[in-house]
Amino acid sequence: MKQESMINIKNLKRYYKSGQVITKALNGVSFEIKQGEFIAIMGASGSGKTTMLRILGLLDKPTKGDYTINNLDIVNLPEEERNYYRLTQLGYVFQDYALINEMSAIENIYILSLMEGKSKVQSIITAQAALDKVGLSDKSERIPDQLSGGEKQRIAVARAIAKHPKILFADEPCANLDTHNSEQILEVFKTLNKKFGQTIVMVTHESWHTKYVSRIIKLKDGKIVSDVKV
Amino acid sequence: MFNNIRVGFVSATSSIKRGNKKTLSFIIFVLALIFVNLVFLPSMIGGMTGMFNGFMQYPYGDIVIEPSMDNSYINNADDVLKKARAVPDVKAATKRLDVGASIQHKHKVVGSTITGLLPSEEYDVSNYPNIIAEGDFLGELSRDEIIIGAMLVEGYFGSEIYDNLGGIRVGSLVNVTYSNGVVRTYKVKGIMEGTFELVDLNALVHYKEIEDVYGLEESKATSVVIRVKNPDDSAKIKEKIIAAGVKEPVFTNTEKSDAILRQAMQSIDMINFVSNYVSLIVGAALILIIIYINVLNRKKEIGILKAVGISPGSIVISYAFISMFYVSSGILAGLILYFLLMFYFTVSPITFYETMTIIPEIQGGLVIKSIFTMLIMSVIAGVLPAWRVSKESILEAIWGR
Repeated sequence: MKQESMINIKNLKRYYKSGQVITKALNGVSFEIKQGEFIAIMGASGSGKTTMLRILGLLDKPTKGDYTINNLDIVNLPEEERNYYRLTQLGYVFQDYALINEMSAIENIYILSLMEGKSKVQSIITAQAALDKVGLSDKSERIPDQLSGGEKQRIAVARAIAKHPKILFADEPCANLDTHNSEQILEVFKTLNKKFGQTIVMVTHESWHTKYVSRIIKLKDGKIVSDVKV
Repeated sequence: MFNNIRVGFVSATSSIKRGNKKTLSFIIFVLALIFVNLVFLPSMIGGMTGMFNGFMQYPYGDIVIEPSMDNSYINNADDVLKKARAVPDVKAATKRLDVGASIQHKHKVVGSTITGLLPSEEYDVSNYPNIIAEGDFLGELSRDEIIIGAMLVEGYFGSEIYDNLGGIRVGSLVNVTYSNGVVRTYKVKGIMEGTFELVDLNALVHYKEIEDVYGLEESKATSVVIRVKNPDDSAKIKEKIIAAGVKEPVFTNTEKSDAILRQAMQSIDMINFVSNYVSLIVGAALILIIIYINVLNRKKEIGILKAVGISPGSIVISYAFISMFYVSSGILAGLILYFLLMFYFTVSPITFYETMTIIPEIQGGLVIKSIFTMLIMSVIAGVLPAWRVSKESILEAIWGR
């Protein structure tokens, strides 16, 4: 049976204007993502890969083009609905962890479930389960400053997957990590993808990361230059 | 909304619990100073007003009855006294006779108002018996004795400003020439110092002396001075005295103060008013700046919270909670500081003109008003910048672009 496409991108453009200069970060990108894919978006600095991911993750809006998830027009979604969609349907892992320093590991995670309307007990159980998945259940009360870089990123992954998102976005998740910690993060992604069928879109510039993914999209100057299945 | 409040509360609690304690202490300290600034000066001004009102106690007690416009005296003052004393809330009352005279000691002569009073009754009505700086207060038999105000005596505060009687002391003899030409010689029994011109430029003799000198009959008086049980109820008691059948004009101490010290009091009230509003504006601006800087320092955090799906409403509520916590703690610390200052200045009052002391007055209404004002400002100060930042794009908040 033919797999339904989950994400549809058509002629997506993102221009930045600085004075009289217009930078075309994305200049007419089109592709589809099917459920269960683990995609690496690659390219040199300035190729538009981070811009791409931010638009996919609803952190930014395109200048032009169409973007749908499961046939829902994401581009024209009102701000409040975009927020809610991001909360309930998408997970995002940032390059620099983006944890709230004054919250413990478990608070960083369960606050999202509270926002969804779950009870505190239910939220803590969900957060604890996510911490189990990344192997950090014993460090739930630690604050980010008490964790290593790798541990912080695993907490960030736990936060992103706790709500069982439709799609998990990761923006160079291993950029600040050593090889060992990078492998741990990528193993977590691989497990989530293989075991739970999690759709993952990851931006990376490390070629060795590609052994974990099922598809590689390469960008150059805001355009797709290759799109291959591994 | 409920979810917003829950998330806002969790976020605020963790921020307060695990935030930088030195920064927190500094913010609370500054807010405490803002609170003290709001309440301290008005308390000192209140004390000053209280001091002036206290001065007015000497000539007017809490309530004073004066002759009607076309009379020099209250006729049958004993009858007026009887009616006033019958009012339940009146503590004590007495009659007085004020006359103009010149006092001479050796070659020095000064003009003065001489008050004829009933010494034993004054103990319950006025503070005269308690302000004798030298010698003693008059007694019932003090017919040839006089109490001289301190500003008429060389060496006392204020005597250098006004004409004085030189170096008279207790036991000195003075000649008093009354406005009707009668001359009497008195021995100085005491020197009174009330640190107020209306007292210290005057002299006191026995009521019967004035009666004799002016040949007055049927208990005449230039004023009937009344002390009440609760001075705050003076206005109501005044109405009761009128209702009891007193036909002469009746004034409360405040009404007389207003008339005599109107300009001074208006100036003080104006200073108080301006100071209150300036403090309020400065306080509001400072709270806004403190919270705004705090929010700006957490701009990235706000962006992250938005990026992971926390609603702007929760973020705003979180900062309202944080802001209210800062301000509540500041108010608490400010109250402690304020009461410590009040205690200190009550024990060691500010003294000016050497003898006038200002004891600050704790103004409950103002304290409550200031607490509410600061709490309202805290909500505005917390909500406004957080709302502004929460409306920024996520990219702008996190990465500044």
